[in-house]
Amino acid sequence: MPELTLSKAINTGLRRALEDDPKVIVMGQDVGGLGGVFRVTDGLQKDFGSDRVIDTPLAEASIVGTAIGLALRGYRPICEIQFDGFVYPAFSQIVSQLAKLRARTNGLLSVPVVIRIPVGGGIGAVEHHSESNEAYFAHTAGLRVVCCSDPHDAHWMLRMAARGADPVIFYEPKRRYWSKADVAESADDARVLPLDRARVVRPGRDLTLLTYGGMVATCLEAAEIAAEEGRDLEVVDLRSLSPLDLDTITASVDRTGRCVVVHEAPTFAGLGAEVGSAVTERCFYRLEAPVLRVGGYNTPYPPAKVEDQYLPDADRVLDAVDRAFAW
Amino acid sequence: MEPVQLLSPDGTFTPDPAWPLEVTPQLCRDFYRRMVLARRFDDEALALQRQGELGLWLQSRGQEAAQVGSILALRDTDYVFPSYREQAAALCRGLTPAELLVQWRGNALSGWDPARYRFHIYTLVLAAQLPHATGYAMGVQRDGTDEIVAVYFGDGASSEGEANEAFNWAAAAGVPLLFFCQNNHWAISTPTHIQMRAPLHQRARGFGLDAHVVDGNDVLAVHAVTRAVAEQIRAGGGPALIEAVTYRMAGHSTSDDPTRYRTASELDSWQARDPIARLESLMVAQGWIDEELRAQIARESDALAEETRRVCREFGPVDMTGMFSAVLAQQSPLLAEERRRHEALVVSYAD
Amino acid sequence: MTAVTQTVLESVQQFRLPDVGEGLEEATIVSWRVGVGDRVTHNQVLVEIETAKSLVELPSPFDGVVTELLAAEGETVKVGTPIISVGPEAAPPASQPEPTPSVLVGYGPAGDGGRRRRRRRPTASPAHPGLDGRVRAKPPVRKLARDLGVDLATVPATGPHGTITREDVERAAAPAPVEAPALVGAPEPDVTRIPASGVRKATAAAMVKSAFTAPHVTEFLTVDVTRSVKLVEELRAAPAYAGSKVTMLLLAARALIAAAKEFPDVNASWDDTAGEIVRHERVNLGIAAATPRGLVVPSVKDAGSLTLPQLAAAITELVQTAREGRAAPRDLTGGTITLTNIGVFGVDAGTPILNPGEAAILCLGQVRRTPWEHKGRIALRWTTQLALSFDHRLVDGELGSRVLARVGAILERPKWELMQL
Ligand SMILES: Cc1ncc(C[n+]2csc(CCOP(=O)(O)OP(=O)(O)O)c2C)c(N)n1
Ligand SMILES: [Mg+2]
Repeated sequence: MPELTLSKAINTGLRRALEDDPKVIVMGQDVGGLGGVFRVTDGLQKDFGSDRVIDTPLAEASIVGTAIGLALRGYRPICEIQFDGFVYPAFSQIVSQLAKLRARTNGLLSVPVVIRIPVGGGIGAVEHHSESNEAYFAHTAGLRVVCCSDPHDAHWMLRMAARGADPVIFYEPKRRYWSKADVAESADDARVLPLDRARVVRPGRDLTLLTYGGMVATCLEAAEIAAEEGRDLEVVDLRSLSPLDLDTITASVDRTGRCVVVHEAPTFAGLGAEVGSAVTERCFYRLEAPVLRVGGYNTPYPPAKVEDQYLPDADRVLDAVDRAFAW
Repeated sequence: MEPVQLLSPDGTFTPDPAWPLEVTPQLCRDFYRRMVLARRFDDEALALQRQGELGLWLQSRGQEAAQVGSILALRDTDYVFPSYREQAAALCRGLTPAELLVQWRGNALSGWDPARYRFHIYTLVLAAQLPHATGYAMGVQRDGTDEIVAVYFGDGASSEGEANEAFNWAAAAGVPLLFFCQNNHWAISTPTHIQMRAPLHQRARGFGLDAHVVDGNDVLAVHAVTRAVAEQIRAGGGPALIEAVTYRMAGHSTSDDPTRYRTASELDSWQARDPIARLESLMVAQGWIDEELRAQIARESDALAEETRRVCREFGPVDMTGMFSAVLAQQSPLLAEERRRHEALVVSYAD
Repeated sequence: MTAVTQTVLESVQQFRLPDVGEGLEEATIVSWRVGVGDRVTHNQVLVEIETAKSLVELPSPFDGVVTELLAAEGETVKVGTPIISVGPEAAPPASQPEPTPSVLVGYGPAGDGGRRRRRRRPTASPAHPGLDGRVRAKPPVRKLARDLGVDLATVPATGPHGTITREDVERAAAPAPVEAPALVGAPEPDVTRIPASGVRKATAAAMVKSAFTAPHVTEFLTVDVTRSVKLVEELRAAPAYAGSKVTMLLLAARALIAAAKEFPDVNASWDDTAGEIVRHERVNLGIAAATPRGLVVPSVKDAGSLTLPQLAAAITELVQTAREGRAAPRDLTGGTITLTNIGVFGVDAGTPILNPGEAAILCLGQVRRTPWEHKGRIALRWTTQLALSFDHRLVDGELGSRVLARVGAILERPKWELMQL
């Protein structure tokens, strides 16, 4: 495929999913004629009709609830929640219904609903439009939680999510919607990884940066700067936040002996806490320093003019790297 | 049920005995002036966004009559919960341009002290303010004062569970609350018919609310209906809902592209029903407006526009520091530590 | 519009492309509505642009005269890029804009204003709890100490915040090379007391443990290794072995690995607590090495998977790092069977003591010219004596003898035997 923006890569992923399986339904607020506020569903309603690409009423709880009903009837809904901060009205449907139906029925019921959520900050938005709420869902058994970081992965991860048997919370880093990259043409391409696998995006010897979503690019930037200073950082994109690919993670930390987890979400009880704990348990005798975390501060997401202070950037990542080496 | 209308789109005034209103030159001039200023402020904010001075702006263009007519029918002491594009109403309560812009500039998460204006901060999560208003009204009910509470929301927001839960509870509890819906026909790109089959005012009756529908581009009708309904609530008549049928003449926000989902002819047809032009026609016909008044309002508008530009450019830089102490009444050790670390980091930067 | 506003310019200003739609990165110039020399007033539309989301008109933030259009129609520009210069009305059109453009940058991923600069120095040193008399060492250092048999409580710490470093442990494991040995107690004539620390102590403990827990049996075999000596010569000349040390040890190692694979019960340990024999799937070959700090036994992991050149390289490197005292903890543990070469010291044979936890150790004696029966006649041949000690709890005489015989057979006809592998 030619170079695509992340938005367009997901758009083509949705298109393929709709073509591949007549049971796939795309639904959400303004996903039809408008093509979604980030244009991710652009043109889909025109080509697949409003039975398969549904503009929903403004009711998130019912978007997810209705998707569950459709799934029970054999459809495969891919829902869009317009912004991360607006998923909360649907929280009960997600954690109490969607996540539990399989276990409650001992596997009799399967509800393969994909919930796409633009996530994170960095776009100068107003409040509720920049949240990172992955920890809530990673904490909930019965959900797969994934987060893409580039167009190629976004496309293929979406297609895999749309074929899987489990409910998937599919995060899309909105600050990267307009960044472009090449997307593999076929599933046989070596770059196409299973949905639950982490990926070493930059090999390095001295320290592992574990990250995902919008922070992958930030960590790569930090690694470039560190290289100039003579430190060789490895960057691992977790991709799947639940379940975690601990084998890839541990293999990396065992090699480097140092580990910093980077995410936009506040650190307290965030995903980094889980990853840090797992790494400490598995790599204890290889750790030259404790696992450090870099994340948003434990305040509400601040106003737009302050977000570049709130969000981890290369400087904050490198500050943690310095600390890891000073231990 | 046809919307209550006192002033036709061409500016003809037809009184309605059910909704009495003494239409005086002063009343019309006041409405007119407020609507013109609101629109000018709105235009200026739009330009500031396009110049990169604001992150986002949601215009109220076309909805001035619904906002001005309704808020001026309340007492200044009545507490109001706005949604997020109620700047025409806000200006009537005395909020300043700086207070209205600071949030969209991205310098703060809210712009004003709600107690000062009896005007709550904006709520960006759709319909979340409806239960708040219900609860506030339950408090008023218990305190036994003669205040009422008003809450603004959109046609789209009325689909949210919280909206309907609030309608139900408010009716069941009989609280002094006015639900004011600006049905501007669109929720971003979603037209009203996708949100609902039965019109909102009809649905509201099913919940047990006293409900009315009014031409939201007719400032006189909005005012007359709101005033009567508000007084009825104040007198203990229980909660009510007014659906003001209006039109969002601009895009949903500065990030929106309305040409993708609505036609130019639809916009044109509503242009012809512009709330300001309609009142102006009446005033011209009645001889209630002259060059002097126009010039005076133009001067006021220019001054407001200039002030708007000035305050917007004068907003200083902001930083994280304030955030750390605003989270809990007593700062937690975690936040104190983060603040310390953040400050050390900032100091360490090369410039 | 005559009101004097802040938008009136005193110098040439640039208008940068704002992010008009939450997080956009770029936009395309669709059409300019003004040209160079045009007078513009604030909020007058300057240009129409197209973003990923929509067509948008950009109004002028200034009153003045257009001095330059900085982007062409059809051009795609990044958010934050200057697209037009506007100068004061009175001034003649200047083509050089002010060095510092106005701050009118939109929001979005390009950030607001300049990015912060790289930090000058690390801000925070890690928070360390107060000293509490307990040993401080990182986990890998603790592991190293355990592997080397060093008691951390006795090690002086030289690291930051009172931590014991890797070097501290290694120093403790080996006596300082040049320092005069410390004298203990009253001077004793004709006696030098050397504190038994580090490797010496660890070796002592290990040998005692091994000798008194594993019932040792040692068997001997003298073999004609003339063909092996020739093979060593040939290999030394082969490019695949460049950089590696090729000696009889290499062929003996290869022979022992082969035998261990053939008789896996010898590549095993006795687990006393579980009362089980633990058979190892891989052959991790220990090589006893004399180093300045004493005897250490680093091991080549999964030596059975290596080709002969790889094995040569691995042994060379392992012995080298061990001699330099740089062996990683991982290198010094995990062996499953050991080879020791006392021939280098000019002796013929010995009874080696097992490396603790292993079931067998092969000892290679010196290779010497010996009168030997060869093809029915007495000839001078290269011979060596092999000694194999094994743990009689799990290896009995028959197995031990077969293993030793096998090693001997390989060394006698190395090409033939090694080719079979
Ligand atoms: C819970 C929630 N979901 C989605 C959104 C995103 N959103 C913001 S405004 C809007 C449309 C609202 O339409 P309406 O209620 O009719 O109000 P209007 O904008 O027309 O004034 C949407 C979908 C939101 N703010 N909150
Ligand atoms: Mg609406």
